[in-house]
Amino acid sequence: MKRDVLERILWSLSVDRFSKEKFKENPEKYLSRFPLDADDVEMILSFDVKKLQEVGVNSMLTMGYWIEMSPDRSMATYNNKLGSTSGYSASIKG
Amino acid sequence: MAKIIGGFLVPHDPIMFVSPDAPEKSVADKAWAAFETCAQSLAEMEANTVIIVGNDHYMLFGTTCLPKYCIGTGHVEGPIDRLPGLNKGPVNNNEELANFIATDGAESGFDWAVARSFTTDHAFSIPYQLIVKRAEVISGRQIKAIPVYLGSAVDPFISMKRSRELGEQIADAVSRFDSDEKVAVIGSGGISHWVGVKESGQVNPEFDQRIIELCCKRDLDQLVALSDEEILEQGGNGAMELRNFVCAMAAVEASNVSLIEYQPVPEWVTGLGFMELKAS
Repeated sequence: MKRDVLERILWSLSVDRFSKEKFKENPEKYLSRFPLDADDVEMILSFDVKKLQEVGVNSMLTMGYWIEMSPDRSMATYNNKLGSTSGYSASIKG
Repeated sequence: MAKIIGGFLVPHDPIMFVSPDAPEKSVADKAWAAFETCAQSLAEMEANTVIIVGNDHYMLFGTTCLPKYCIGTGHVEGPIDRLPGLNKGPVNNNEELANFIATDGAESGFDWAVARSFTTDHAFSIPYQLIVKRAEVISGRQIKAIPVYLGSAVDPFISMKRSRELGEQIADAVSRFDSDEKVAVIGSGGISHWVGVKESGQVNPEFDQRIIELCCKRDLDQLVALSDEEILEQGGNGAMELRNFVCAMAAVEASNVSLIEYQPVPEWVTGLGFMELKAS
């Protein structure tokens, strides 16, 4: 199931140092080892947390991967991507 | 034999540590004071061991294994997610009692997942450090702590019914444990809160008050009857942690549940409820 693989990747990118390094070095190569279609790859590379949640990915993982790997790591941007104007977040990294 | 003598229902809100000044000072002070009240009360109970019922936030258990319920039976440390003012350190586990609960469960239909060496997250470590460690300082006595983790934040969720049954099994096991241990149980979780989703920052005081009322009435039947759909809609994905409350309440079999404090705090993204469970 698509959601399961996506959760595995996002969990690894949230907590596993080796995965984080490999993703930073070459994200496309890192993702190529997983059974993903082009849309899945695009969702991850573009940090489309809204779409990821729409296919069932746990929001703790979308938040964790956003905080660890996204270009600006801003929770305001994260909220904005979800369509929220909330100034508050449950991020443990401020 | 060992005996459960009481417990608490408290939040484990990490944003209190990350953004302590976000809410008005009077609101923040009440929340911190509520933890201190719990610590004072725990010290007065003269508990030797505290079982803390929490849940992983997809940090400890990955996609390779998502246990419905897990108990730390050996070496314990934490939290894995260090927060300002919440440092990682060793936990003085009651390994003998934890193993007894697990083996007793295996004989009575509860196949516990066992963590022989476990690193907690903030769900355990916030009440451990703010209540248990603080009660040690107040009382001058050592208090051991056992981590119990339920599948309350990552699906497949443990059911409310099973959470209650698990609490009852913990109570049964403790009552058969051959020692003079005095045990307290803490249910660790927020009431309404939305985590990592569009609604993050909302709280629902009406839902929170309803939950507090059911807890204070000791109405486990009504709590267990809450559907996942209702909890998710009214209390958010974070409110699935009510399972931790249910398990703790079933373990304590309280004759009285009293509200210590309630604060709806959007700045900390959570309805924060603090209750004390007094065993008969």
